[in-house]
Amino acid sequence: MTRWILKLAQRLLLLTALGIVGALFCATMVRFAPGYGVDESELDFRLSQASRDAIRHEHQLSGGLVSYYGGYIWGLLHGNLGTSAFLQRPVAELLKERAFFTARAVFLGLLTAWMAASILSLLTVRWPSWALEYSATAFTGFLIALPTAVVALLCLYLRAPVFLGIAAITLPKLFRYQHNILAQANAQPFVLAARARGVSSNRILFAHVIPVAWPPLVALLGVSAAMAIGAAIPLEALSDSPGVGQLAWQAALNRDLPLLTSITLFVTLLTAGVNCVAGALQERRA
Amino acid sequence: MKARRTLRLVCRIALVVIFALGLFAGSVTRYSYAHQFRESPNTTPSADHFLGTDSLGRDLFTRLVFGTRVSLLLAPAAALLATCIAAIVGGIAGLRGGWIEKIILASADLSMSLPLLFVLIALRALLPLDVSPLVSVVATFLTLGVLGWPSSLRVIWAAARELRDSDHILLAKAQGYRRSQILFRQVIPCLRPICLAQFWIAIPLFILTEATLSMLGLGVMEPLPSWGNLLRGAEDFGAMAANPWRLVPLVVLVFTVICFQFIFPSSEELA
Repeated sequence: MTRWILKLAQRLLLLTALGIVGALFCATMVRFAPGYGVDESELDFRLSQASRDAIRHEHQLSGGLVSYYGGYIWGLLHGNLGTSAFLQRPVAELLKERAFFTARAVFLGLLTAWMAASILSLLTVRWPSWALEYSATAFTGFLIALPTAVVALLCLYLRAPVFLGIAAITLPKLFRYQHNILAQANAQPFVLAARARGVSSNRILFAHVIPVAWPPLVALLGVSAAMAIGAAIPLEALSDSPGVGQLAWQAALNRDLPLLTSITLFVTLLTAGVNCVAGALQERRA
Repeated sequence: MKARRTLRLVCRIALVVIFALGLFAGSVTRYSYAHQFRESPNTTPSADHFLGTDSLGRDLFTRLVFGTRVSLLLAPAAALLATCIAAIVGGIAGLRGGWIEKIILASADLSMSLPLLFVLIALRALLPLDVSPLVSVVATFLTLGVLGWPSSLRVIWAAARELRDSDHILLAKAQGYRRSQILFRQVIPCLRPICLAQFWIAIPLFILTEATLSMLGLGVMEPLPSWGNLLRGAEDFGAMAANPWRLVPLVVLVFTVICFQFIFPSSEELA
């Protein structure tokens, strides 16, 4: 148990470091992007040269990138994520406001996708038939072939909530992984032996197949979370949902450095955190 | 099993036809993808314009065929780049081990912690929005290629690690081959089947990602067509319902991605 806690702590430390490195990498990219620090209000012909210079000075990083990094990490340690240049509001406030919408959509989307994928894959393993296998493959194959943006537009058209879009994007990949894992476990020699001894199919599934398939299924939780968070961005951007995805989209388009850095940190920590918990659970189970 | 083989053959033929259409786009249609028939915007399908024209009077069939060229030729190029990076980096990690392996795997973990689409949106947004269409194409697919390697890396690294202590690598080391020679002459050729599988897996993924990026306005820029930017008008549901043939690019895209899923034998068939 102590070893498990130590490993979890080690993973959490690593993911914090990864998150900060990711956020700073993103900040560097934005800082050196062409056109960084240019404000469109400079195009206003009524402005004097002095006013234009003042605007330019306002948008330049004081002290360069290294001091920005230092200042950012110092602020981070004190719970200050800076102020959004585009929305003129504290980043922490913006994230707090919107994180709930995204977290709820991602959670509900994952729950729906996991339930649907589990039911489908259990059905195809428990009652293997040509028709069921092909129907499930065709259905998930069609969903997997739809670009995320098209799913977002369909959600908008059907007035479906964002979480259903996330579920539609995550479901086909989840089904394929789950089906493969369960089919592999179902093909093990001990399952064949149990079948030869006349053990019922339900007992084989729940007492022999699922316990064997459990560790890779738990690992899949982390992967599916990354997929769901990735799907949430275009879905929220296109369906105008007030979540972190839409905020990331606005930050990217407006080159809002403090906002983009913090969102990158948030997304990295969220995904790596879920991966870390899934990895720890998998190790504990193994 | 026979049905699967037939389906696979049909998918392969369909892909060859679609690739050929894209490759010989200039011969398939007599118009230019940017030519505007100003006297006939928003027309319905006719003998002159098989899929009608858009609001600027551009022939939609021509744009679809040239868009196929852009999407179907550059997605494999990006997939090739991503697979090459994964093969070299994964090969080095598997072959060297130690701290180099740890750094490479940690950087792959970092890349995979960030959803690909988020990073792509952030990186693509760094470029000016008014770049030339050609630059936008190169930037989009180069970004896809450069960022698409981590998902293949772990598979390739695992295979390379198994090769580390194999007899032929030991023999090569004993004969005094340099590390780079071992990597390129001994390890990567052995990884070819895995790399090839990763390459084919990456193509539909990149086609779909480009479509999403272009639909968000951050992919291939107008007037150059791609499947993604041909779907940008899809937000106007009224126009789409009135002109359903405008959904043909979506149908072609979905069909192509489905074909990619069926062109290889399943693990059950291989067993």
